[in-house]
Formats: sequence, structure tokens, C-alpha cells
Amino acid sequence: MSNATLEAVSPSLQPQPGAPDNWRRFFSFSTDHKVIGIQYIVTAFIFFLFGGLLAMVMRGELITPEADLVDRTVYNGLFTMHGTIMLFMWTFPMLNGLANYLVPLQIGARDMAFPRLNAAAFWMVPVFGVILTLSFFVPGGPSQSGWWAYPPVSLQNPTGNLINGQSLWLLAVALSGVSSIMGAVNIVTTIFRMRAPGMGWFKMPAFCWTVLSAQMIQLVGLPALTAGAVTLLLDLTVGTSFFNPELGGDPVLYQHFFWFYSHPAVYVIILPIFGVFSEIFPVYARKPLFGYRVVAVSSLIITGLSLIVWVHHMFASGTPGWMRMLFMFTTMAISVPTGIKVFAWVATIWGGKLRLNTAMLFALGGLSTFLFAGITGIMLASAPFDIHVNNTYFVVGHFHYVINGAVVMGFYAAIYHWFPKMTGRMYYEGLGKLHCALTFIGINLIFLPMHPLGLMGMPRRVASYDPEFAFWNVLASLGGFLLGVSTLPFILNMLSSWAQGKQAPDNPWRAIGLEWLVSSPPPHENFEQLPIVVSAPYGYGSDEPLVANDPAHKPTHDLTEGVSP
Amino acid sequence: MSTANLDSTVDADLQAQMAHGAEHEEEDHRLFGFIVFLLSESVIFLSFFVGYIVYKTNATDWLPAGVEGLEVREPFINTVVLVSSSFVIYFAERFLHKENLWGFRTFWFLTMAMGSFFLYGQAVEWLGLPFGFRDGLFGGTFYLLTGFHGLHVLTGVLLQGIMLGRSFLPNNYAGGEFGVVSTSLFWHFVDVIWIVLFILIYVWQ
Amino acid sequence: MNRRTIGVLVGLAIADLLASLWIGQQAYTWMPPQASAESVLVDNLFSFMTTLGSFIFLGVMGTLLYAILFQRAAKYDASDGPNIEGNVKLEVVWTTIPILLVIWIATVSYQTYDRMSILGPMEPLPMGMATAEAAPTDRAASVTSPPIQVFARQWAWEFHYPEAGVRSTELHLPVNQRAQLVLSSEDVLHGFFVPAFRVKQDVVPGREINFEFTPIREGRYRLRDSEYSGTYFAANQTNVVVESSEDYQDWLAMAAARSPFPAENVAFEAFNQTDASAIGLGWKTVEPAPAPLVNFASSEEDTYE
Ligand code: HEA
Ligand code: HEA
Ligand code: CUA
Ligand SMILES: [Cu+2]
Repeated sequence: MSNATLEAVSPSLQPQPGAPDNWRRFFSFSTDHKVIGIQYIVTAFIFFLFGGLLAMVMRGELITPEADLVDRTVYNGLFTMHGTIMLFMWTFPMLNGLANYLVPLQIGARDMAFPRLNAAAFWMVPVFGVILTLSFFVPGGPSQSGWWAYPPVSLQNPTGNLINGQSLWLLAVALSGVSSIMGAVNIVTTIFRMRAPGMGWFKMPAFCWTVLSAQMIQLVGLPALTAGAVTLLLDLTVGTSFFNPELGGDPVLYQHFFWFYSHPAVYVIILPIFGVFSEIFPVYARKPLFGYRVVAVSSLIITGLSLIVWVHHMFASGTPGWMRMLFMFTTMAISVPTGIKVFAWVATIWGGKLRLNTAMLFALGGLSTFLFAGITGIMLASAPFDIHVNNTYFVVGHFHYVINGAVVMGFYAAIYHWFPKMTGRMYYEGLGKLHCALTFIGINLIFLPMHPLGLMGMPRRVASYDPEFAFWNVLASLGGFLLGVSTLPFILNMLSSWAQGKQAPDNPWRAIGLEWLVSSPPPHENFEQLPIVVSAPYGYGSDEPLVANDPAHKPTHDLTEGVSP
Repeated sequence: MSTANLDSTVDADLQAQMAHGAEHEEEDHRLFGFIVFLLSESVIFLSFFVGYIVYKTNATDWLPAGVEGLEVREPFINTVVLVSSSFVIYFAERFLHKENLWGFRTFWFLTMAMGSFFLYGQAVEWLGLPFGFRDGLFGGTFYLLTGFHGLHVLTGVLLQGIMLGRSFLPNNYAGGEFGVVSTSLFWHFVDVIWIVLFILIYVWQ
Repeated sequence: MNRRTIGVLVGLAIADLLASLWIGQQAYTWMPPQASAESVLVDNLFSFMTTLGSFIFLGVMGTLLYAILFQRAAKYDASDGPNIEGNVKLEVVWTTIPILLVIWIATVSYQTYDRMSILGPMEPLPMGMATAEAAPTDRAASVTSPPIQVFARQWAWEFHYPEAGVRSTELHLPVNQRAQLVLSSEDVLHGFFVPAFRVKQDVVPGREINFEFTPIREGRYRLRDSEYSGTYFAANQTNVVVESSEDYQDWLAMAAARSPFPAENVAFEAFNQTDASAIGLGWKTVEPAPAPLVNFASSEEDTYE
């Protein structure tokens, strides 16, 4: 890596991260996990707006039954790129950003295990983001085969060019996989090896547990996707026959490769959000996380189960009956560890002293949409029912309820909660609550109507539809536009608070956690002396101290001498 | 929180852990991270293997027209050479451990030679084959698997070259060397993969 | 817990149950008409899952809402809530109940599936068992033999009745008889989907997939492509007509007497139109196959339920 010059500058010369005068750091090859975390989050959010903008055009097309606003090829390119950008450019980088920012602080480490690898993994994100964006401008347009890129549609190449939307798409997805694996190696190593003295597994915050579980999925799943993507690329470019039925290949095998990763991927996405919920509810309910150990371990159970359910995306694909029944059962089993979490959160909130800040409101909203989506998920898992609604808007409704409901709302919750820590500024509560209300209403208005649509039999991925579906689609489009507008108060809030918000104290929410023991924003290497952790992470209502020393200041005692560098 | 009650709350166990904390420097993390990476990478091969098995068991016309099967003799010699090189590289490591640099270099170089021999053998085999990567599923999977593995062997040999070069820097390997350990780990990994591959492709015909 | 709390809890649970049962009944009205034996089974399953799902959703949300409304901290109250870290009994309960629920839902689903006995593509022979409910009439007599061949392509549906020598873009089926189809595709993946029948099957190129179900209600229904198949995917739709045995035979005879003509085809026509007018705001697409030559064609003007 060519950051030799950067490394050469001694740390003391580098300006403090997050301090108002050094915004340039966010545009540099910094190896500070906090800078990288914010770089990830901001980059991801820009792509969220881009993906959202594409969705706005889609909703514009769908407000009338005819294919009139855009050409059919354009519509197909739009939903393909919307799905791809939202998953590979928004959720993964956004969650890596949160993990990057929070994990070292929460486990009491000075940085990630491999800071340069970390930076390199981040800088690949804009690279493949640009590749994806550029694919709009190559002849033939971007990939139009949906985010699954199922062959043979993905192998049809009407322009005949070698460089086409589909091959660029595959390149971007492969790069994204490499970047994610680099990130995963880094995060897993960090959590295994760099926990502060005294932080046993059951003293580690739930968020770190979920991140660990999620990154382990990446390590097992991504290589399978890479294998599938490489073979598909070979079919597309050099004419091998792996998935091409004309040459004897098997298109259904690709589906197995794809879903073997892409199903677990949804738990890569949701697990850290579960972690965010587990961090936020105790703080604003002033009660310990109910059944913390079980909640922590249930993440690992979800990781394990997530690897053996992928065929539920293929119930109508050409799957034998025994497979349908087997995977129906494994899929439903996921509701058990997930239920443990949901009930634990409810029990955490119950009987507490609730404070409904923006972060808490978002987390509650996210929990409610998750519950709804989880229940429709269990319905989808039931093969005979899924056969009716597979590839209809019922599925689109299901997953936007999780991914836009729980994940996006959970992301907002996390941002509001840790905003003071990240920037050293307070956000404006009023704008935050407005943002929350608009988002919640928007989500329900757009995605609830998708369920009746799906039950009635409206297929997904259509630019035109039969007139009987018009009513619900108009509602959904209006909700979609509202959802688009709802991002404006958020952007306004973030920009103005960051620039001129009230100075934030170290611990504005009186939260328990190592990240709240250091200044806001935290200093360059987080801790003057490594914290010595002596209790479990959620001691609300008890007087036990979390740590045995004061990590924000230089040691006064020679006991910790061996630890400071 | 004050530091006053430090001694009472921090037990002996913890203090030992803290002392240890200073040792676990980058070096250790790197090896741990590298193992994690190898585990993850093995899933790519696993996926290819599964794909191969599925194709082979389901395909109606598996071998391309006019192809009888694969010649096993030369690949077998190749296999023996590659597998033995795993032992040779182990001896190289032992020498390094005993701080016998020339012993290390000799055996290390021998490993490289054996790896290169394998690559050469594979190139010769490829050139002599009557089918190409477009010839049906067999052609595709054969070149994909052996090619992807060959790429790993090549990477291994290149890494070994770098490590060999670095052994000439004075005092470079004084305190044990992460690069050598992980290169050799990688080499064993590549070897194990080949054994599975050999069984799948050449033995199970 | 005193008597009163228990009483209140039981009361709330009953209220939740009643509300859920009511919602479960509504579930039937969200579905298209029940035009096949399978649809009755699927709707029962859906209603059952909706009831259970509503019970869970209302129960959890009710608890949360109560807490949100009545357990807020007073404005200047900076104290913490009670330091309750968990409760083993409670945790065992809320692990066991979902396990039991899952087993219940899976069992009901399995039974439904078994009774539908949808033929999986890897089971080329009819199973000839457990079809009693789904195939109300005598099995031997019910078979539309030989099976109707279904061809899916970019972007048209074509149905071939080998015995009568009829090709059509509208699928005609006799009511109350087990319909037997063989699905095949000439280019990419397609999906055979009739919402009113609640059945769906991907059509995989390079394979012949046997598929069967039993229509039980006369009428005209929509048949849609359900597996994304490229540019004109949305337009790849046609109709299914379910009619009495006599009407079916009459239709076959009538169609067989006609000579083949090119059917109406949205994709093909739209493609040629854009080509002619060349507005050019789209991207290059795979060319649609020409309109199929058939003895009988469906029309986009036709109404359906
Ligand atoms: C973060 C994202 C996320 C999450 C968390 C989930 C969670 C779940 N999903 Fe979802 N899903 C997607 C994202 C997600 N999904 C996406 C993106 C797709 C479509 C991709 C595409 O096609 O493009 C999809 C599609 C999809 C399908 C395929 C449908 C089809 O294509 O035909 C199925 C089928 O089984 C399914 C099931 C489930 C289940 C069972 C869960 C479970 O994990 C839910 C578990 C949670 C609960 C059940 C609620 C809490 C539990 C309790 C309160 C306990 C008591 C409850 C019971 C006993 C029921 N999902
Ligand atoms: C994280 C994942 C994620 C998220 C957050 C979203 C968010 C949204 N999605 Fe989703 N969506 C997917 C993942 C996601 N989606 C996937 C995987 C698919 C399947 C793709 C496929 O089938 O292949 C899909 C498919 C999909 C469809 C179905 C398309 C079809 O099948 O034909 C629809 C239709 O309404 C839709 C709508 C929306 C809307 C309205 C939002 C809203 O949240 C968007 C909110 C809007 C904004 C955030 C934009 C705000 C911007 C402005 C107001 C303008 C300002 C502009 C600048 C500053 C430049 N999406
Ligand atoms: Cu999968 Cu899902
Ligand atoms: Cu899923």
C-alpha cells in the first residue's frame, strides 16, 4: 500500500479525528478506524440516496398501470441497480462503517487489528461504486437481469460487447466480495484478539457479538458467491457452458451458489441492527438487557441456521419435494433464536423508565416493522403458501419491511444515538422526531399495500401491470415519495448539527459502555490506558463500575505500564 | 471511576492477561487473520468441488466427444512432487527455527523448485489435451479447477521467492518470521486442495 | 402474581385471540377467486398463519405500546429502572413456545403440501397418492391425456394439445379434472403462475417439467409469467379458461378446424413499434420471438376474474 508517507508522519502531528478543523482527513487514506468508519457511513449514505432516487423513478413508473414513464429496458435496469446498490453499496458498507467505528471502542482497543487492510477495504467501495454507476453509460445500459443475475437472462447480451452492463456488474460484485472479506478478516481478528483486559466473552457488548456473528457469515458465504460470479463471468465472456442450458449447463446450480450466500447475507445485514437494538433499548429504558447471555449466543445460532435455509428462495424453481419440506423447516426454525431476541427486548423495555429520544423512537419503529416482516417471513417459509406469492409483491413487501423498516430505521437509531460521540455535537431533537414520524408513516404507506398486491397475484419486476392493481400502487407510490422526502430533515439535521450543534458531553445519554468513557469525539488512539473491564456490559440500576481504571487518562499507577505502548 | 480500588478489583488472572496483552502484537494477529482468510478461501474451492460433483453426477454427456478420459501417470508424478514439497518446506522451517539460515535457504529453494516443476508439468499436460475450456461441462470444470489451483501454486512460489530474498537482509529473520510461517501454511493448504482435486478429477473418472 | 393480574392477563389473551381469529377470517378476502382445489387448501393455510401471526403481532405490539404509553420516565427523573438481568423461567417459556409454534406451522404446511401433491420437477412420474382432496373426481377418468404441452418463450405462451392437434395462446381446461401439463422453455427461465389456482412453477430451459392441479370453478383467469425473463417480462401474460367438459371438447373441435394464424403478441408488436418510431430512450434489447402461429388466440381485450 502506498501510504508510506502518511505512516511516516508521527501520530502526534496528525490532527485529531472529528475535530472541526480537519475535515480533510475524511478524504485521505487514513488508518484510524474512526475516520474509516465515518468514511464508510457517509459513502454508503450517498449511495443510499442514489439507490433511493432510482426507486423514486420506479415508483413514478408504477403509479400508472401502463409502461409509460420510462422504457421497459430502463425500468429493468432501474430495479436491478436499485437492488444492487442498496445491498452492495448501502447496507454492507454502512454496517461495516458502524462496526468499524464502534467495535474497537466497545471492546477497548486502540484500533483495528489491521489498520491498513481496513483502509484498503474501504477505498475499494468507491471504486466499485463508480464501476456500477458507469455501467449506466455503456452501450446497452446497466445490467437488467435483476440483482440475482439469474442465467440465462444474465447471459443474453444483446449488444454483443465484451464490456457491457452485466460484466461490469459482475466485476463490481466480485470486488465488493473481496472488500467484504478483507473487512471480515479484520473485524473477526480484532474481536478475537484485541479485547481489553478483563473483557471475557460475556462481558462483551451485544453489538460486538452480532458483528462477529455477521462477519463469520461473510467469511463462509462470500466465497460461494464469488465462485458463482466467476463462473458466470466466464460463461458471459469466454463462452464456457457452466450455466448455459443451450450448451448443457445447469442454470439452477447458479441459483444455489447465489442463494447460498445471498440468503445468509440478509442476516449479515440484520444481525448488527439487532446489536444496535440491544445497545439502545437498555440505555433509554434504564434497565439491563434482559437475558444478555442468551441474546448474545442467539446471534451465533442464527449464524449457524442461516447457512442451511437458502433453498426457501427456490421453492418454485425446480426443486424436488423433499428439499422444499426440509428447507421449509430449517427456515422456520430461525424464528426461535430471533424470537428470543424480540422477547428479550420487550422484557428490557417493560417496567423501565422510558425516555423517547429520537434514537429510541427509531429503534421502537424498527422493532415493530421487523416483527411484521418476520411474521410474513415465516409465512413465506411455508412452501405451499410461498408457491402462490413467490416472485410477487408480497415478497417485495416482506423484505422492504425488514430492510427498509428494521435496517434503515435501525441505522438511523444508531446514527442519532452515537452522533454525539462521533462528532462531538448534539443533534436537534425536534428535527429528529419529525424525521422519525415521516419515515415510519412513509414506510408503512408504501410497503403495506405491497402485501395485498402480492396476494392478488401482482408479479414483481414489472414495468406495467393489469388495471386491478392500480389502487394499491397509487398508495404505494405516494408513500414512496413521502419516504423520499423524509430523508431531507435527516440530512438537514446532520449537516447543521455537525457544523454548529451544541457541544456534546462525553456521555450525554448516561449510557454504560467503554465508548462513553472517553471524550466526544474520542482521541486518536481512543484510550490513554487500556480499560480494565470488571463487569458485564449493562449494569443499569446497579452501582458496579464497568472498569477498574480511568481509560481516558494516563495511568497514575505502574500496574498498567506493560500495556501502554 | 477512580483508580483507587485498582488492586482490589483486579485479580491475579487479570494482571497476567494484561502482561500478555502487551505481547500480542501485530505478528500474532496477522497469523490469526491469515488462518481466518485461508478458511474462508477454502470455501471457494469447496464450492467448485460441489459444482464439479453435481455436474459430473447429473450430466448426460460428460466427456466431450472423442475424449476417452484423462491420462493419470504424469499427473500422478506431479502430485507426488507437490505433496513431498510440503515435507521439504517443513524442514526449511525447522532449519530457520534452529537459526541455520543456509539450511533454510537450501530447503526453501528446493520447495520452490518442486512447485515450479509442478507448474511446468501442468502446463505440459494442458498443452497436450484434446479438449478446451469450452468443450462442455467437463472441459469447463477441468480447466477452472486446475487453473484456479495452479494460480495458487504460482502465488505460493512467488511468495516463497520474496521470502527467500528477504532472508538475505541482515537480521531479518532473527525473531521468527510471520512471512515464512504463513507462506508455508499457504503451501500446505495448496497441497491439501490438490489432493482432493486429484482424487475428484483423476481418480474418480 | 395476584388473582387480579392473572385475570387481566387472561382477559387480554382472549381479546387478542378473538381479534386474531377475526383477522384470520378476513384473510380469505385478500385472495383471488378460489378456482382450483389447491387454492382452497392454500387459503386455509394462509388464514391459519394469519391468525397465528396476528396473535403474536398484536400480543407483542400491545405490550410494547403499553410500556411506551405508561412507563415513561418523569421529566426530571434521572434514576434507573430495576436491575433485572433476566429470568430463566421466562426465557425457557419464550424459547419453548416458538419451538412448538414452528412445529405446528410446519406440520400444517406439510399436510397442505402433501394434499396438494404438486409434482416436483424431479419426480417425473405422477405420484398417484394423497391426491384425494385435490382431485375430487375419479383419478383414472380425470387425466387430460396426453398432457398439454406448455411452451414459454421470450415473450409468449403457447399451449399445444397433442391429441387434438390444437395450438393456442389461451389455455383451456375442463373443470373438475386433474390438469396435466408439461412445461418447457426455449430460451430463459419463465414461471407458470395462475393466481386464481395458487400454483406456480418455474419453467427451466433444458428440462421438461410435469405439473398438475385441479381447476374447480368455471371462468376466465389470468396466467402470468412469474420468473423474470427480460425486457417484455411484464407483458408475458395470457388467460386460462376453465369450462365444462362438453364446452372443452367443443372448443378443441372448433379450434382444430381452424387454420393457424399469428396470435396477438404484446412484446412483438411493441418491439416493432419502437423500432419504427425510434424514440430511442431505451437500451438495446433481446429481440422478441415472432408471434406464435396458433389455431386459437387470446386477446388482451378479454376480461378475466
Ligand atoms: C435483512 C433482511 C431480511 C431478514 C432479517 C429476513 C428474515 C426472514 N425472511 Fe426474508 N427476505 C429478505 C430479507 C430478509 N428476510 C430479502 C431481501 C428477500 C428477497 C430477496 C429477493 O428475492 O430479491 C427475502 C425473501 C424471503 C423468502 C423468499 C420468498 C420468495 O422469494 O418466494 C423467504 C421464504 O421463506 C423469507 C423468509 C424469511 C424468514 C423466515 C425470516 C426470519 O428470519 C424472520 C424471523 C423473525 C420472526 C419470526 C419474528 C420474531 C419472532 C417471534 C416473535 C417468535 C415467535 C414467532 C413465531 C413462532 C412465528 N424471506
Ligand atoms: C437495503 C435495501 C433496500 C432499500 C433501503 C430499499 C428502499 C426502497 N425500495 Fe427497494 N429493493 C431492494 C432493496 C432496497 N430497497 C431490493 C434488493 C430489490 C429487488 C431488486 C430486484 O428485484 O432485483 C428492491 C426492489 C424494489 C421495488 C420492486 C421493483 C420491482 O420488482 O419491479 C420497489 C418498488 O416500489 C422498491 C422501492 C423502494 C423504495 C421506494 C425505497 C425507499 O426507501 C427509497 C427512499 C428514497 C430515498 C432515500 C431517496 C431520497 C432522495 C431524494 C428525495 C432525492 C434527493 C437526491 C439527491 C440528494 C441526489 N424497491
Ligand atoms: Cu434466503 Cu433466504
Ligand atoms: Cu431470506
